[in-house]
Amino acid sequence: MGEYALLYILFAPFFGALALIFVSNRQALLVRGIAAGSAFISLMASLYLFYTYDPVRGGFQFIQRFEWSRQLGISLYLGVDGIGTPLVLASSILLFAGIFVSWHIKDRAKEFYIWILILAAATIGVFMSLDLFFLYFFYEMSVIPMYLLLGMWGSHTKKYLEMTDPEGVKQRDSVGFIFNFGSNSKEYAAMKLVLFLSAFAVAAFMGILLIYKYSGLNTFDILVLREHANLMNIPVLGTTLDKIIWVLIFFGFASIAPLWPLHSWSPVGHAAAPAATSMLHAGVLMKLGHFSIIRVAFEILPETTQELMPMAAVLCMFSIVYGGFVAYYAKDTKYVIGYSSSSHMGYVFLGMAALDYISLSGAVIYMFAHAMATGMLFSMAGWVYDQTHTRDIPSLGGLSNKMPFISACFVVGCMASIGMPGTINFIAEVMIIVGSWNKYPLQVIVAVLGIVLTMAYLFKMMRSLFYGPMDQKYSHSHDAVAFVDRLPLLIMISVSVGFGLFPMHLYNVVRSGVDPLISKITRVVPVAELQAPEAPATSLHEQLAARGAQLPEVPVSQ
Amino acid sequence: MNFELNMTIADLLFLLPEIFLTLWLCLVLIVDFAFPRLPKEQLGYLSVVGLVVTLGCLAWFDLTHISGALFGNMFVLDRMSIFFKMFIVGASILVILASIEYVNRFAFFRGEYYFLIVMSALGMMFMASANDLLSLFVTLEFSTFGFYVLVAYLREDLASNEAGLKFFILGVFAAGLLAYGISLVYGETGKLVFSDMASAPATPGLIIGFLLIFAALGFKIGAVPFHSWIPDTYHGAPTPVTAFLSIAPKGAAIAILLRLFFVALFTFKPMWVLLLAAVSVLSMTYANIVAIAQTNIKRLLAYSGIAQIGNVLIGMAAGTKMGNDAILFYLLTYLFANIGAFAVVIAMSQAIGSEEINDYSGLNRRSPFLAFSMLLFLLSLAGVPPLAGFIGKIYIFVAAIKEGLYTLITVGLVNIVISMYYYLIVVKKMYIAEPIDPSPIRISGPMKAVVYVGLAGTLLIGIYPQPFIDWVVSATMMFSHLPAPATTALPPIPPLGG
Repeated sequence: MGEYALLYILFAPFFGALALIFVSNRQALLVRGIAAGSAFISLMASLYLFYTYDPVRGGFQFIQRFEWSRQLGISLYLGVDGIGTPLVLASSILLFAGIFVSWHIKDRAKEFYIWILILAAATIGVFMSLDLFFLYFFYEMSVIPMYLLLGMWGSHTKKYLEMTDPEGVKQRDSVGFIFNFGSNSKEYAAMKLVLFLSAFAVAAFMGILLIYKYSGLNTFDILVLREHANLMNIPVLGTTLDKIIWVLIFFGFASIAPLWPLHSWSPVGHAAAPAATSMLHAGVLMKLGHFSIIRVAFEILPETTQELMPMAAVLCMFSIVYGGFVAYYAKDTKYVIGYSSSSHMGYVFLGMAALDYISLSGAVIYMFAHAMATGMLFSMAGWVYDQTHTRDIPSLGGLSNKMPFISACFVVGCMASIGMPGTINFIAEVMIIVGSWNKYPLQVIVAVLGIVLTMAYLFKMMRSLFYGPMDQKYSHSHDAVAFVDRLPLLIMISVSVGFGLFPMHLYNVVRSGVDPLISKITRVVPVAELQAPEAPATSLHEQLAARGAQLPEVPVSQ
Repeated sequence: MNFELNMTIADLLFLLPEIFLTLWLCLVLIVDFAFPRLPKEQLGYLSVVGLVVTLGCLAWFDLTHISGALFGNMFVLDRMSIFFKMFIVGASILVILASIEYVNRFAFFRGEYYFLIVMSALGMMFMASANDLLSLFVTLEFSTFGFYVLVAYLREDLASNEAGLKFFILGVFAAGLLAYGISLVYGETGKLVFSDMASAPATPGLIIGFLLIFAALGFKIGAVPFHSWIPDTYHGAPTPVTAFLSIAPKGAAIAILLRLFFVALFTFKPMWVLLLAAVSVLSMTYANIVAIAQTNIKRLLAYSGIAQIGNVLIGMAAGTKMGNDAILFYLLTYLFANIGAFAVVIAMSQAIGSEEINDYSGLNRRSPFLAFSMLLFLLSLAGVPPLAGFIGKIYIFVAAIKEGLYTLITVGLVNIVISMYYYLIVVKKMYIAEPIDPSPIRISGPMKAVVYVGLAGTLLIGIYPQPFIDWVVSATMMFSHLPAPATTALPPIPPLGG
């Protein structure tokens, strides 16, 4: 049963969505029950996956392979390594939490759950695909549900154009403004998101097709391609083919990440989306970008990655600083969190760009950590919006009297987002910073300043939402009291803090995925392989202690 | 040229589906006249029965690998013609089911409507078997003849009359081009059968002749720059006829194009690849951009159909067996998605009497089933996983990348994004906009059946395409001699772990 864990994780939401089609919208409890039940199966299976993944053995585990098309060389090939495993876990946690965050949805609840289950399942599918075709298949499949979720259950961002600073100067997202033309509706946000992501996805697909063509292997199998595809030194258009493929794949997938010049769809989309969708969107959908770059570009084109990855190190600085400043001046709760997400994704790019064992592990852990932190923040922003029907920060205030639980959780959410010791974000941030210091000291300084910036805008938002005088028109708002309302926050907080206190298993899992990758890219034999095979480690801890001699200490809080 | 008609009765087996359908056609007409009080939808079901039997007969041919040629190679029955005949007959069945309710709109000649549909289907079945220039001309005109009448069937409707007139004039013009082209080719080579022309030298007369033939066929499939009749005709014609017109003739004409390019003209491949590439780029780009501005769903689907043909031509420009497999597969996905989309349009036009996109507002609240079906059909046309259209597009791109058609693939990929925009505009109306009139929409039984068939095809091909791929691969066995791209043998699966 255990070896089918991936199938349960992937297909439970799909079959849940299928079952929901045959349920009437009037049976509200049954609708929610099916959605929550299928998300629960997925969550349990991914917990099982996470804790039975064997980091000592490493590599791809829980393999499932079904031939899908002989002529095209496609098979449904599923498997997770140390990088995919935590992301699968994060997706199913956020899906489960998201179902509860949207528990009170009234309008067309059935359809909402159908689309959110499909969205999460498609996202999970990317994290476990070992076949380029299916990676793209699930990637593209995750985009369309976003359109409907934003369009049908989203909200207009009415205040966007009025977002001015105290002097009356318009403070808008420059790129967003160019494409915005004064429009700020949810339809616009949804259409922009889909077209933007699809346009870059087809660029990435062109890269995939070029890999398929020039490998000459007639297969989309990533494991075969990474061993046997020889794409180096083929001159094309004054440069080499591998560079073209790499750029197509990198920028194709970096658009969803979102890397700085390609980010403009993201905050608009976050702001328009309903809370559960924002959670999944910022929590895991954005990680599809990093993950796909790691899975495709890093695995198949390691040499080119080493050559061209410094590009990401430059762009990630802009991501961090730009996102942070816009978040500071934004007046809309979801914009603040949305831009903070795109700023924080810059850290992941920094961790990836350094191509170091520690920093890449940090980047992967950061993806997991950020999923929890941003999930918390978005679910609480959603709660505040549901209660007050506004996201305009200056008009809010003093809500902590009305919602003590939410405001307490918000403090934890901000702490997690900043990277306070005790949360998993801290470990991830420190690993990224420590790991990339040797290679990119300038970026590390920017990143540390970015943390200060994060602190500034999150505290600013927290203060003006929950403290200070309260407008009387919000006096009817109330706290999350019911168990179903508190459950998602409690889950995310306990995951964030729990892994912050006991990160070793997560760290081991991630390292087992990162090590072979980095050693392949940097062509340095990893420590693990230098160890003589005749001295098998008695326990994982001893093995890691042996490694510890060469590797920096893992910063563990407490 | 020698017509040796030394055929036996047993050879007529190859013509069995056509002979049966001809007789059935007469039966439909006789029943119509003999029992004037019979409800006309009974005639529709009667035609469907005949078509289903024909389909069964074709399936039997396909399974038992019956094949052969008749009348001095004028008529061939091979796997590919069987595929296209099944395609055409299947489309006809769905169109008749979708029109049973609609036919009550016609003031006169309700019975003849079914007769004309089946007659066009019969003509196109012959077209799928046409293997020389004479039978090409005769079958093409035979099949178009029924459409000339069908398009103008709404006698009181000016748009329908205009559509009929436009279709007729341009259609006859195309027929003239075709006849001229055939005469030029025959004059240059002295041959009529496709396979006999394979080694003809490229004289200017021959090339012009083939270009004229291509123009006539391009008119049938509606490729830019031969598309100008499409939007108006699709718009004005009765909607079921539009549905039929948008699928079946394209299939039949593609069958002929495949024979023409891969049998008669294969030695000129470098030349026609460029021609096809140019037509493909124009079709996709022009149609997708113009479709953005459409406010009528039939016109939108008309332009979308032109763009889809552009995609098909990418596969043809690949010039390999795999490209042809991809074309057949793509047409299959297009059949289900397009007939489904038109079925929804017909159902809507029955319910609200309008085909404007604006009147689709809030369809999700009025009929979740129709809205969801339309969503899936449009997304399949756009090429979104896990729907059939996605696999179809990927199949074509994979076939084309193996031949290194980078520009065509890039244009095709960019066009996916453009097309997504206008399909999503319809989705936006259906799902996001609020309904003006919130009354629920009722769908008739046969219409529901058509939509279910469309949904089943769209989802099944998208999720498990292997049986369909096997089918199209065996259907194009006649092209297995084409040079295949070199691939190295697949290495063994590397050990996992590490």
